Formats: sequence, C-alpha cells, structure tokens
Amino acid sequence: MSAHHSDPLQNPEVQQGSTLRFATAFLASVLFMGAALLVSQHKLPFLEFAEILVGLTFLTLAAQATLFFGLDISRAQIWKSVSLILTVPLFIISVGLTVWAFSSLYSRTMLPANEVPSMSMPMDSNATMSMPAQQTLLQ
Amino acid sequence: MQVDLQDPWSPLFGRLTLDSIPYDNPIIVGTFLGAATIGLIVVAAVLYYKKLPYLWREWLTTVDHKKIGVMYIILGLVMLFRGFVDGLMMRTQQVMAVGPDSPGVLGAQHGFLPPFHFDQVYSAHGTIMLIFAATPIMAGLGNIIVPLQIGARDMAYPYLNAVSLWLTTAGAALIMLSLFVGEFSNAAWVGLMPLAELPYNPGVGVDYWMWAIQLSSLGTTFNAINIIATIVKMRAPGMTWFRMPVFTWVNLSTSIIGLTAFPVLGVALSLLTADRYLGTDFFTVGHGGNFMLYIDLFWIWGHPEVYFLILPPFGIFSEIVPTFSEKPLFGYLTMVAASFAIAGIGWSVWAHHFFTMGMGPDLNGYFSSATMLVGIPTGVKIFNWLFTMYRGRITFTTPMLWAVMGIFLLLFGGFTGMMLSAPAINYTVHDSVFVIAHFHCMVLVVAVGAFAAVAYWWPKVFGFKLDERNGQFFFWTFTLASIVVFVPMFGLGLEGETRRLDYVFNPQWRPLLIAEEVGIVLYCISVFYFLKMIYVSLRDRVPAGDDAWGTGRTLEWMTHTPVPFYNFAVTPQINALDELAWRRENGLDKVKPQTFVPIHMPSNTAVPVIIGAMAMALGFGMIWRIWWMAGAALLAIVVAVIARSFDKNQGYILTAEEIAKFESKTELASMIAEQPKRTPLDHVEAH
Repeated sequence: MSAHHSDPLQNPEVQQGSTLRFATAFLASVLFMGAALLVSQHKLPFLEFAEILVGLTFLTLAAQATLFFGLDISRAQIWKSVSLILTVPLFIISVGLTVWAFSSLYSRTMLPANEVPSMSMPMDSNATMSMPAQQTLLQ
Repeated sequence: MQVDLQDPWSPLFGRLTLDSIPYDNPIIVGTFLGAATIGLIVVAAVLYYKKLPYLWREWLTTVDHKKIGVMYIILGLVMLFRGFVDGLMMRTQQVMAVGPDSPGVLGAQHGFLPPFHFDQVYSAHGTIMLIFAATPIMAGLGNIIVPLQIGARDMAYPYLNAVSLWLTTAGAALIMLSLFVGEFSNAAWVGLMPLAELPYNPGVGVDYWMWAIQLSSLGTTFNAINIIATIVKMRAPGMTWFRMPVFTWVNLSTSIIGLTAFPVLGVALSLLTADRYLGTDFFTVGHGGNFMLYIDLFWIWGHPEVYFLILPPFGIFSEIVPTFSEKPLFGYLTMVAASFAIAGIGWSVWAHHFFTMGMGPDLNGYFSSATMLVGIPTGVKIFNWLFTMYRGRITFTTPMLWAVMGIFLLLFGGFTGMMLSAPAINYTVHDSVFVIAHFHCMVLVVAVGAFAAVAYWWPKVFGFKLDERNGQFFFWTFTLASIVVFVPMFGLGLEGETRRLDYVFNPQWRPLLIAEEVGIVLYCISVFYFLKMIYVSLRDRVPAGDDAWGTGRTLEWMTHTPVPFYNFAVTPQINALDELAWRRENGLDKVKPQTFVPIHMPSNTAVPVIIGAMAMALGFGMIWRIWWMAGAALLAIVVAVIARSFDKNQGYILTAEEIAKFESKTELASMIAEQPKRTPLDHVEAH
C-alpha cells in the first residue's frame, strides 16, 4: 500500500490527467466516429472504405491512448505502453485471419446472384430456377 | 432504438409475471424444494450457532487471498454438482428416448424431458461446467497458492480480488435463479447463431446466459490482472523469474490469456446485447450483419479459454509429480517455455471449431497446422512428467493418482484432438458426439487437476489431510466412470450420433447409451465417496505438518500448517528454485525466525460483496427489462466504487508481539480462527 492511497486525487495517474486532455480525447473520438459515419453514407469501393475506416479507428485509438490514458514512454507509463504494444500481434492475428476467413466466405457458401431467382420477381407456381442453380442445390 | 417486445411488460416488474415461475414443472418444483430445504438448514445452522457475525466479518467481507480462493472453490464445486446433475439428466434422457417406441413421461413424447427443456439442460451444463465450475476452481487455486509460492503477503490488489469473486458469484447466482424464475438459454453454451437472436429466441433464457457470462467474465478478467500484477510485483527477495515454481508460471501464462481473450468475449456478448435490446444487426442477416462473425468472435475467446482452463492443471501436475517422485521436475525451463508456447499458439487456432464454415482450403490448412503445433509443447510436458517419474521413488497417494490419470486423459484428449485438427476428419465427425468425447477428455483433465490440487494443498490450507482411503475410492470410481461414459461415446460419434439429441432415432445405439448411463451411475457413486471423504476428514482432522507430504519442494510448504492469515511471519529470502528442497539439503528447513517486525495488513471491506449483489440486481433487471432496477443497481455500483476511493481506512498493523504469539500457537491465526477487531490506520507511509 502506498501513501498515495490515502487520497485518490494524489494518485500519479489522476494527477497526470487534465480536463483539457480528457475533453480533447472525447472530442477527437466523436470527430473521428462522425467522420466514419459520414464516410459510410457514401458509396465507395470496398477496399477504399475499409482503409478509411481502419485509419479512422487507429486515429481514435491513438487519441484515446495518448490524451485519455496518457500513455507515453515516461517511467510511470512505459509498462502500460509496452503492454498495449504487446497486444498488437494479437490484433493482427485475430483481425487478419478473420478478414481472410470472411473475405471469400460469401462467394464460397452462397449461390451466385445470377443463379438465384430474384426476390423482387413475382413468385408463382410457374417460377423456375436456372439450371446451374438447381444443380447446385441438388448437390 | 429499444426493441419492442410483444409480450406483456410493466414499468414495475418489466417482463416478469407470475407465469414466469414454472410451478407446473415437477422436476423444477422438486429441485426448488430440495434447494430451499438445504438453504434453510444452512441458514438455520448459522443462526443457531450465532455464526452470522463471524461469517460476515471473516468470510463475506474478507480480502484475504486464501479465503477468497476457498470461496471460489466452494462456488466451483457447488456449480460442478449442478452441472453434473444436468449431465445425469442428459444421459438419462438419451437412454430413455431411443427409437420411436420409447415411452414418454412428465409431458415428454420420449424420455422425461421435452425438447425445449432438454435444450436448456445441455446449454446450462456446458455454461456451468466451463465458466462457473472449472474457471472458479482454477481461479481459486491460483488465488490460494500463487502468493504463497512467491513469498507474498497477499495478492497485489486484495480488494479487487474480492470484487472478482463476487462478480463471478453474481453470474453463478443468475444461472441458479434461471432454474426457478423464467428459463435458461436453449441455444447451447456457445450461443448458437442465429438461434440466440431475438426473433428466434424471444424469451429470457438467452439473456440469463448472456448476462451471467458477462458478469463473471468481468470477474475473471480482474482476477487475471491481479495474478499478473502479483507475480510481477510481489515476489519475495531472491525469487527471480527462473526460481518461480511452474504452477506460478502457468498462472502467469493463463492470466495473460485471460486478460487478452476475455475482452473479446465481452465484445461479442455486448454486440449480441445490442442486437437483442436495441435491434442492431451485428449478427443477424439484415443490413450487412453476419452471424458467423459471432461464432468467429466467440471462438477467438473460446479457444484461448480452453488453454486458460487446461494450463493450471499442467502446473498442478508439475508440482505433484516431483513431490511424489521425490525428484526435481525434469526440464524446468522447457516446461516454462512449453506453457507460454501453448498459450501463444492457443491464440491462433480458434477457427478449427468451425472448419465447416467454408473458409477455404488455405485457411483450413493454416488452422489445421497451427492446431497440430499445440501437440509439440504439450508433448514436451508429458515427456517431462514421465522423465520426472523415471527412477523416482514414486508414492501413489491420492494427488499422485489424480495427476497420473490427468496425464492419461491428456493423451486420449490430445490424440483425438490431433485427429480433429485434420479438416478431412473434422468434416466427417463435425457436430458428432465424437467431438463431445474428445473435449470431455480435455475438460476432465481440468477436473482431475482440480481434485489433485484440492487433495494436495488441502492440508496446507486447513491443517489436516483429506482421508486417503475414501479419496482412493473416489478416484477409482471416478476413473471407471470416465472410461465407461466416454469410450462408448467415441464409438457412438464414429457411428454418426450427432450431439444435443433429445431423441435418439437409431435403436442400435441403445447398448452403448446404456453403457454411458452405467458410467453416470458410477459417477454418482464417486460423488458419494467425495462427500464421504470430506465428512471423514472433517470428523477425524488428523493434523498435518508444515510440509504435509514430507517431500514438498516449493515455498508454500515452508509456511505453517494451516497457513496463517499473514502467510509469512518474516518475508523469506529465496536462494534457489525449489527453495524448501534447497533448505532441506542444506539443513536449513527447520530454522524459524526469532524476531519479527510489524506487518501492514489490508482491512476487510463490505464494498465487494455489495458490488456483487448490485451486479446481480443489474443483470436481473436487464434480463427481465426492469429498467429502474438495472439503473438503480448500476448507480449503486458507481457510488460504491467512488465511496470506496475516498475510504480513509488504510488497513491495520499486526504488531511483532501478536505475530510472535501466532507463531507459537498457529491455530490462532488459521483460516477458520476468528480475529479480534483491529483499529484501522488512516494514514500510512509508502513502503
């Protein structure tokens, strides 16, 4: 138990924080999330959209890590910063392999669009399915 | 926007109505009467013997890592019993419901459980066994033993430790409550998608499952943080990294897994919560959602969770095998490296749980190879245990028997795991009971590890050994039961029996199902011997020495038996790996400190148990959509946390005279001894 425990407001981490930094971190996060919302309203190629989204996510994370959590390489914070960096491989593994797994999932598991009767078409007893689609379903 | 449900809702009781109580179900009513009777007997006994103040002051509000560990284990054992009863019901249902001519009772067309009830039973069984039985037991063991093995006075954050326990308890209480108020999830312990989504599951079952896991996983994450901080910061002088016992090492690797993996589960469940409460589409097929994304997120946590559970038993075996072989552990460094290799690889194999999703041969190949890689460090461990036993002076006491059984089970589970890691085989037996038999071999390693650890460290905690004769009966009946249940299950899986069947269509499978039922009866007998072992041990209380087994090697066996609440009267100076063995070899094991310095101890606090109770109320409010209750409980938690921050109680000082008295009469400082009320400090200097 250290002397700082007597008064939580004297804790070095609490002392390190400031209203201005907290407010800036909050505003930055809102700003980047707002930007992501705006981008999502526009039709963009998937890759470009994903790149922008990932970029904005990193900016948000950086703003929160530096301004809100005050992570840096000072003696007080170095181990927290290192701990955060050590989780990066896990992000790469989990996000990377997930992207890989899901990138071709639709085409592997769903019928090609041109082989599925459109839902907008009137479905009646005479509606037919294309031959390849029937074969795929029968397999 | 909040999802508008069709069933009745009132501001005061939310979705809760009298119809939510299943008083028309004889099984549940019987269970309730049984549980209520046992509860009343316990409460009456506590009141009759006037133990309520003792229970509150010494246990419920404690921050002592050993008492918290014991409560974790008691919680785990209670839940283990509940999960076992679920297993018993499942096996009995399957053996009764074979073929179209099988009769039905209690409203079931076949067997005694209607499908909806059966689905809840297997969902509860999996959830309870993994998250509310195995996890708390392992967390409890880590809590008790790790500080003792590294020469620490307590965990790094004693208060947080109590919060972890009570959050886990809150989750477990919600699961128990779901038996009598409402229903439990019928979407399996994993939360099958899209079955767990609101349109397919509009009841409260999935919500019970979701909130129970969410709360307990918070507790587990806090516990992981605590264990890491304790090992990194609280080691005694001279306890360098490579003098730490393997059990401590595996707890470090386990906690790293816990700290990194459990947040993923939290995210997955939070997104599912958003789907069910706010109408988002993360895991539905609407608006670009994808239910396989849930499966992916779940197993990103789920597979590391497997190693989170299996690594501590590896550490337990690594302590027991040298003690009862009277030899140092073979290959200490490789054992440590293997623990971290397993933890690391364990993070990159999760998709082998859903090879059949259709992610393609490249990725299947990657996950298959990565899964096979786990076999290398695991094999290293097995060989190290065998080489430790080789030419050792082996004593087959109960803990050693459990450890050896654990190694055999690991081989069975490991080899069948290797089979399943090949996608071609995996596609063939996917969702069959072959997979169930495989992973039960693995989780049985956790169970036998827990039994081994309880038998091994019991004397250190309570001051007397568990009864050996009944312990061996317990071991042999449990072993026989495991063989009789799971060997036929492998066969049924290869014959094509799929998992989670409430009705077995193929009468030719009946003989093997009967064999499984016989195994379950043997498990019941083993439970009897377990209870008898505890009863006889408590009755006889044969005192054990400080080094209860006479061949202990690590630091915990240097403390008094039972270990005093301050652990070490004087912080030990560590000289070697296997400190006690080193001291014994150098004639120093009997040397005791003569002078003492005051010890600064943390005071007990009621805040964690209040947080736990409020967390349960928060969960209950959210499950039944009683918004005022959820809001008030959340507010109470926030207020309690803030109030605690400004608490001026800085613990108390145990004087040198008191320590000297305790050292001469150790029973006064034991875990069950009542301590006098001590004046708290309001200011301490840093030390």
